[in-house]
Amino acid sequence: MNKDTNFKRYLKLDLLPTPWCPGCGNGIVLKTICQAFDELDLPKNSTVVVSGIGCAGRSAGFFDLDSVHTAHGRAIPAAEGIKYANDALHVVVVSGDGDLIGIGGNHLFQAIRRNTNITVICYANEIYAMTGGQVSPITPHNTKTLTTPNGNPDHPADIQFLFKSNNCFFARTTAYHLNHMRKCIVEALKFKGFSFVEARTMCIVNYGRRLGYKNSNEMLLHYKEFYKINDYAEELAENEIGIIKSVPRSSDGFPSA
Amino acid sequence: MTKQLFQGNQAITMAAEVAGLKFFAGYPITPASEIIHELVNKKHIKVLQMEDEIASINAIIGASLAGLKSMTATSGPGFSLMQESIGLAHMMEVPLVIVNVQRVGPSTGMPTLPAQGDVIQCIHGSHGDYFPIVFYPNSVSELYKYTIMAFNAAEESLSPVILLSDGFISHLYETIIPDRNFDIKNRTRPPLGAGNRHFTGLSHEDSVPKTSDVDNYRRLITRLHEKQQLTAQRYNYYEYLECSKDTDTLLISYGALSRIAYYFKNDFALYRPIRLFPIVEEIKIIASRYKRILIMEMNMGQYTHEIERILHREVEFIPILGGRIDLNEIKQKLYEQRY
Repeated sequence: MNKDTNFKRYLKLDLLPTPWCPGCGNGIVLKTICQAFDELDLPKNSTVVVSGIGCAGRSAGFFDLDSVHTAHGRAIPAAEGIKYANDALHVVVVSGDGDLIGIGGNHLFQAIRRNTNITVICYANEIYAMTGGQVSPITPHNTKTLTTPNGNPDHPADIQFLFKSNNCFFARTTAYHLNHMRKCIVEALKFKGFSFVEARTMCIVNYGRRLGYKNSNEMLLHYKEFYKINDYAEELAENEIGIIKSVPRSSDGFPSA
Repeated sequence: MTKQLFQGNQAITMAAEVAGLKFFAGYPITPASEIIHELVNKKHIKVLQMEDEIASINAIIGASLAGLKSMTATSGPGFSLMQESIGLAHMMEVPLVIVNVQRVGPSTGMPTLPAQGDVIQCIHGSHGDYFPIVFYPNSVSELYKYTIMAFNAAEESLSPVILLSDGFISHLYETIIPDRNFDIKNRTRPPLGAGNRHFTGLSHEDSVPKTSDVDNYRRLITRLHEKQQLTAQRYNYYEYLECSKDTDTLLISYGALSRIAYYFKNDFALYRPIRLFPIVEEIKIIASRYKRILIMEMNMGQYTHEIERILHREVEFIPILGGRIDLNEIKQKLYEQRY
């Protein structure tokens, strides 16, 4: 195998194709995760992938290493159990925005508080795609979905500030910016502590086409035009992708008496 | 070995240590909290206080797959929260021990008082068909013994085993002899990191999800059912006391309430299931000797329906609703029913 296809050793190629729709961006994220694994040469026998439920949750079964497909929203506590049980394992969570930020939102917040040394890759397609296209916690304001026919009345969650609260790693990237995504995942995997990569990925079938995109390529071009890379900034603006600079905590709370 | 005074919850933790517990995750809840209080002081046991019971059970699922014997402890409200992931653990075949120290429900109920309202939730709380092994001891020394049995049954069946207790026996102090000479079953499956297995709650075959293969699904559930029945047969625990006098009545009770049943041993034959589920088959033979079957339990007849179902005959039922176990009240109800 040459260098470019070396990442395939992390995949169960005989199980392909994936169950995802034509034009889905999840495959790009899956491939980039494997490329990042390959770049760091993560040993297969010390790496475990954990996922929740949804389109992204199905990706765990395609890794050629031990993987756990947990209940909806519960990938992070299961991953924490694995990590605290065996610290030698690299534990990587792969799941969607609805799973991690919606139903599993409390676990995400608590994992940041505990600063568990695991990496979370969020396939952020801004929609509950597997169930047909309902509004998700990061669907933009005014966007029409199956459950917000008059436009999303809420504003999307900007979770980067949660990570700053405990000096954890946060990066936002997109399926268009392949090298950037790979860099974000590599840095997240190298980070000692809780790390999270929000990888924007396109869902054409249950999201984009209802917004007027003709195909997923148009959604990719939107990422290209809309997002600007701003690595190691204090914080990311709505149209910026990058790794946020972590700030050491100023206080450790009450001193003991 | 000398006798020592221990609380019920304390006995559970000592037994868990003997059985090889290495990982505990839980959330504070009365009347189960003493279990986590005891465990945090034990070396070689990793203890996590999680944000809720859902996180707790998922953390022990992860830890168990990673190779450690794992346990959580809770009461009714927390047990309700865990239900979805209990189904997951059955589907993924993860050995766990779940202690449920029952209190009065539904909802917040009466948090410190005992009840037996979670009996059916143990077997039907999660969606779909699954076949858990459930133990319900009635003394501190039995809590000790059956905690170890629960760990062994979990390892043998590769499934979550439920140890029921209640606010009464878990908070009871009794002298016990903490015996360490038990045959301890160890993990047969290699821990995470040993291969390319995929553990999933989807219907599956050999690590591959099969989301629309009906025949495979039926084979899977049938296999899980047979496995649970087979393992359960090695844990056929019950107590049967024949009456010294001639009696036509068998009085069935379990857990805290069965302690007061001994008071009536001169009037009734007594039967006490210790393995509540799957139901011990011997009850069929024992019940066939009696004209009347009388069940008392601290709920509105949850186990009564199960007994009726297995005996195919009518049984009489005395509800002693949760909170209080009063001898006079029970005496009155028992003899009213009889004459």
